[in-house]
Amino acid sequence: MRFWAVRLGSIGLAVAGAFAIGMLAQNSGNTVSRLIALAGLYVTLAVSLNLINGITGQFSIGHAAFYQVGSYTAAFLASQLVARGIITTTGMPISWVLVAVIAAAVSAGLAGLFIGLPSLRLRGDYLAIVTLGFGEILRIIIQNTNELGGSYGINSPKAFVVPYVWLLAFLCIAVCRNLLQTAHGLTFLSVREDEVASGAMGVNVTRIKVAAFVIGSAFAGAAGALLTHNEGFINVNSFTMDVSFIILTMVVLGGTGSITGSVVAALALFILPEILRDAPAMPLNAILGSLVGIALLVGVIRLAMDNKGLGREVMGARLWLGLGVAVGGAIVVSIGTNFVPALANRTIPSAELRMVIFSAVLVIMMLLRPQGIFGHREFGLGKLFPKEVKA
Amino acid sequence: MKNKIGVFLTLALAGSLLIGCNSSSSSTNTTPSDTDKPTTTTTAGGKRPAPTAAGPKIEGPTVKIGLVASLNGELKPWGDDSKNGAELAIEELNKSGGIDGKQYELITEDSNSKPEQGKTAADRLIGKGVVGIVGEVASGITAQIADSAFAAGVPVVAVGATKTTLTDIGSNVFRVCYTDDFQGPVMARFAYEELRLKRIAVMTDNKQPYSQGLSESFKAKFKALGGEIIAEEFYNSGDQQFNAQLTNVKGKNPDALFLSGYFTEVGLIARQARDVGLSVKLLGGDGWDSEELVSGGGEGIVGGYFCNHYNNQEDRPEVKSFLEKWKAKFAGKLPGTTMGALGYDSVMLMADAIKRAETKDAKGIIAALDNTENFPSVSGAITLKGKGGNPPKRALVVEVTKTGQVFRKAYEYFE
Amino acid sequence: MLEPSLLMAGLDPSALPQQLLNGLMFGAIYALVALGYTMVYGVLRLINFAHGEVFMIGAYTALFVSWQSGYFQGAQGLQRANNPGILILMLLASMIVCAVLGVLIERFAYRPMRKQPRIASLITAIGVSMLLQYGGALVLPVSPPRSILEEVNPYDGNHSISIKPKDAALQTAFTDAQARQKTADAALAAQIKLEGVSSEFDLSEEGKKVNSAALDARDATRGAKNNLDNSGMSLNVPYGQGIMFLTTLGLMGLLTYLVMFTKTGREMRAVAHDFDSAALMGMDVNRIVTITFVIGSSLAGAGAMMCATFLGTQLTSFVGVPWGVKAFVAAVLGGIGNIPGAVLGGLLIGVAETVVVWAGGSQYKDAIAFVILIFVLLVKPGGLLGSAKVEKV
Repeated sequence: MRFWAVRLGSIGLAVAGAFAIGMLAQNSGNTVSRLIALAGLYVTLAVSLNLINGITGQFSIGHAAFYQVGSYTAAFLASQLVARGIITTTGMPISWVLVAVIAAAVSAGLAGLFIGLPSLRLRGDYLAIVTLGFGEILRIIIQNTNELGGSYGINSPKAFVVPYVWLLAFLCIAVCRNLLQTAHGLTFLSVREDEVASGAMGVNVTRIKVAAFVIGSAFAGAAGALLTHNEGFINVNSFTMDVSFIILTMVVLGGTGSITGSVVAALALFILPEILRDAPAMPLNAILGSLVGIALLVGVIRLAMDNKGLGREVMGARLWLGLGVAVGGAIVVSIGTNFVPALANRTIPSAELRMVIFSAVLVIMMLLRPQGIFGHREFGLGKLFPKEVKA
Repeated sequence: MKNKIGVFLTLALAGSLLIGCNSSSSSTNTTPSDTDKPTTTTTAGGKRPAPTAAGPKIEGPTVKIGLVASLNGELKPWGDDSKNGAELAIEELNKSGGIDGKQYELITEDSNSKPEQGKTAADRLIGKGVVGIVGEVASGITAQIADSAFAAGVPVVAVGATKTTLTDIGSNVFRVCYTDDFQGPVMARFAYEELRLKRIAVMTDNKQPYSQGLSESFKAKFKALGGEIIAEEFYNSGDQQFNAQLTNVKGKNPDALFLSGYFTEVGLIARQARDVGLSVKLLGGDGWDSEELVSGGGEGIVGGYFCNHYNNQEDRPEVKSFLEKWKAKFAGKLPGTTMGALGYDSVMLMADAIKRAETKDAKGIIAALDNTENFPSVSGAITLKGKGGNPPKRALVVEVTKTGQVFRKAYEYFE
Repeated sequence: MLEPSLLMAGLDPSALPQQLLNGLMFGAIYALVALGYTMVYGVLRLINFAHGEVFMIGAYTALFVSWQSGYFQGAQGLQRANNPGILILMLLASMIVCAVLGVLIERFAYRPMRKQPRIASLITAIGVSMLLQYGGALVLPVSPPRSILEEVNPYDGNHSISIKPKDAALQTAFTDAQARQKTADAALAAQIKLEGVSSEFDLSEEGKKVNSAALDARDATRGAKNNLDNSGMSLNVPYGQGIMFLTTLGLMGLLTYLVMFTKTGREMRAVAHDFDSAALMGMDVNRIVTITFVIGSSLAGAGAMMCATFLGTQLTSFVGVPWGVKAFVAAVLGGIGNIPGAVLGGLLIGVAETVVVWAGGSQYKDAIAFVILIFVLLVKPGGLLGSAKVEKV
């Protein structure tokens, strides 16, 4: 009884939550509403890649390709429906959006199967390049296909999909989380930890890898379909390699294998560049100076972290020295910049600066917390949250 | 199971679903629900639907104009120039007293060369209360901006987006540049009628909608005139080596080579064409326009012809004063690309419409933009009245010489 | 992907040797950049995503050196350089700057991560790469894209290797046509001067006739030249690209010597074979890693300088991205970590790309590298010369 209550309760809460977020989005401005939708999509993307990458240990760095497959599937479906007069270009009924989501999930899942099957025999980095290559091949095919809008892009009818975006995100989280709770899920972890050993223990490594790949890709595809109908227009530039890298970064930064980590990192990394839009303009010499200073400081802290065996006094002295070097370096660089005519007295607006800060934050985070925000662990309030499954 | 109940109370949404079991949660979104909430209320039918939203009013201490530009990513060179041009225009407008005692304020947002970020940028500008948006350079990003602006009833003046169907998004969308449907035919006529070239090979940048559109319109007109397109080769912006394509072209013995891409690759192609011994005339569109064209293309590009909006050596007062102002602001440099002038023109056109607007709100500005007649801009007179957002503009054919571009022949607008 | 009709129709077998040569010349540069990837991967098992950005910095270094030598845009009436001194200076400067940059990246971004999971190092590499791209856009001149002037290269034109001599009669016809064109052009120039107009497009009706004659003469010359060119067959090597090819081969030879026949090379191979054991054997692995980065990065610098100079690459801070990707593919194709493999992979991709263009599929040129890669990995999961083994991420 209680089991069922928990189950139904959680589904109910998720649906209610998704629609609550939808209401929130509807009642806020366009900007916020879109950001809420995109944030949900990134959560789905990060959690689904986490299944492939963090939980099963398959090194995929081309997740945006599956996102793209789903997105274009939905766009193509919509264009066909419009051509047949079933829907108009002015708005997409939600029932059709859901059909599109399923179609997108299936096609992206098939793409995952298509890529996953042959890539099974490949070890980490080889798989990585194949997934990356798949994205590039896809881009070139789409560019040369007029039915898909070529390099310009393709229009689709819009719909208000925010609740469904978050429903998908919750579903994705639930599937991954529940997978880990079952014996089945343990096999995924075992493949991550040691392929050979888990194979020897009777785990069908191939099947697990493909399953992870297909499920992860299908979720990315579904997210793509929602992107299509949220934006009303997509083109290949929305799915470039750097989008893949960002998704991968979300997974690693959150802590590979940690679902909550992926969620938190996805939200953080998605929101950071948006917040930085409001950052003040800064003089170039201050930027360069602080970059150098921070780099030196991070280096020193890293050094301290790696040499815990040293005595406290030695460490202290080193830290102070390092701090001095960092501050000194920062000052030297900021003053030095003014002696380069092309760089002197330049002020950089936040719009040009935000990606620099973003990448700097990324490097610093990785250096200071290489295991990710949560490591392999899950985050919960106190002990309420169930502990991670031990591999 | 006991402690799991507590999770519901403490963790809200995400955590809650995590407590289910494997089979329980897979059916959540398969049942279609009918909570369809339409957001856009576009009026279907007419070619250019009118926005239904009321749009912002001109109020507050400053008149805010928004600019979306690619300040990061691969379109940065054009984004930077459009930003510089827009800033120059705002500075000038404010120096001459602003409008009704108010100053203009330019709010710039980055599109990061990506359509969806362009949309975020436009949304943010709308949220900040701009009365008009200027931008973008790329058609794909502009389409996204136009879409957001349409929903909010805000006028858009596109800087360099030449995709022909772009202005069909709504009656709030205008541009200061000509469309792909014009400059391609201009070059086709110039090649066929003036240079009497009969057999032309085309090289298209497959990554740029601009280049694809231009190649299409050029090919169509050139064939209609009686010429022959003997080969079409493709490349992607960012490619560095074109020997293979050029060797192919050389094997076909064309009279000329039409390069519809941007100067970044055109320069390389021109250099390498000379290297492989292909010494035919090169022709192209306004994407060639840059101070870097000759230094990038070297001797290979000299003698080529391309279609441009205006020319730095033109005598028109608009051009002269624009270049003087530009040089004064940017340490004696000339604009790197045409987007400098077009960004400037876009802001000037927007400001002019704001001044002429009968009602001081977005609707008034859109009406004023739509009524523009013979607005003297750097890139030639702009008339938007009855033109559906696409100004019929004149185009210049200029020749590339070692010392710069030399004006050769002007084409007034033709269908 | 290609329509069969397209495949059959446009094929010109006589152009194939030239295209293969083009492919080899370009593939050599891919190989040069791929070597950096593969060497770093060999010792650290790390995909150095910042390698493309090292390339970018190398190209900019070459640009700045060329500016310092007086070859900057806007300098009027530049003459072609008359000796390769500047080129050599540019090459060395690029190699040195890249080597320093590579070492710095390794020291500050990768070394602290060495004990961490490889994927964490990978993200750090991506972060460094983005930082250099976006940070570079702040301080480097990118708008409009800059390129190194052609005049800095003293070797103009191309070297032609004749396979089948041209028809002598057609040669005479061409010379005659050229002479007639010269006369017609002179007449046109005189007419323009007479009428006092700026170009042939403003001539009067009378002048148009002169122009028409000149256009006819040009047409005839073009025809004669085409006939002449078609009668013979030759291989063209632009001097610049020829130099690039030879330099690349030279650098690869040097690398082979270094890796195979020196003590440091032996140590490098040992570290690549087994990092931990090499350390246990008393080798200074940090020194070896540093040397690897010096070599790999300076090769990228050399490649960057040559591309920027001889191909005319327009520089932005994102210019390294396509190079990074292609070279990465080349390295994996050959078997990542395997030095001859990187060379083989680079050459193969270069040749495959030109052959695709030759076959009329230039719109799919960028995809072919990946298609080949996927097919090769299907047959040989470890790449052409590599070995496959299961590894943890």
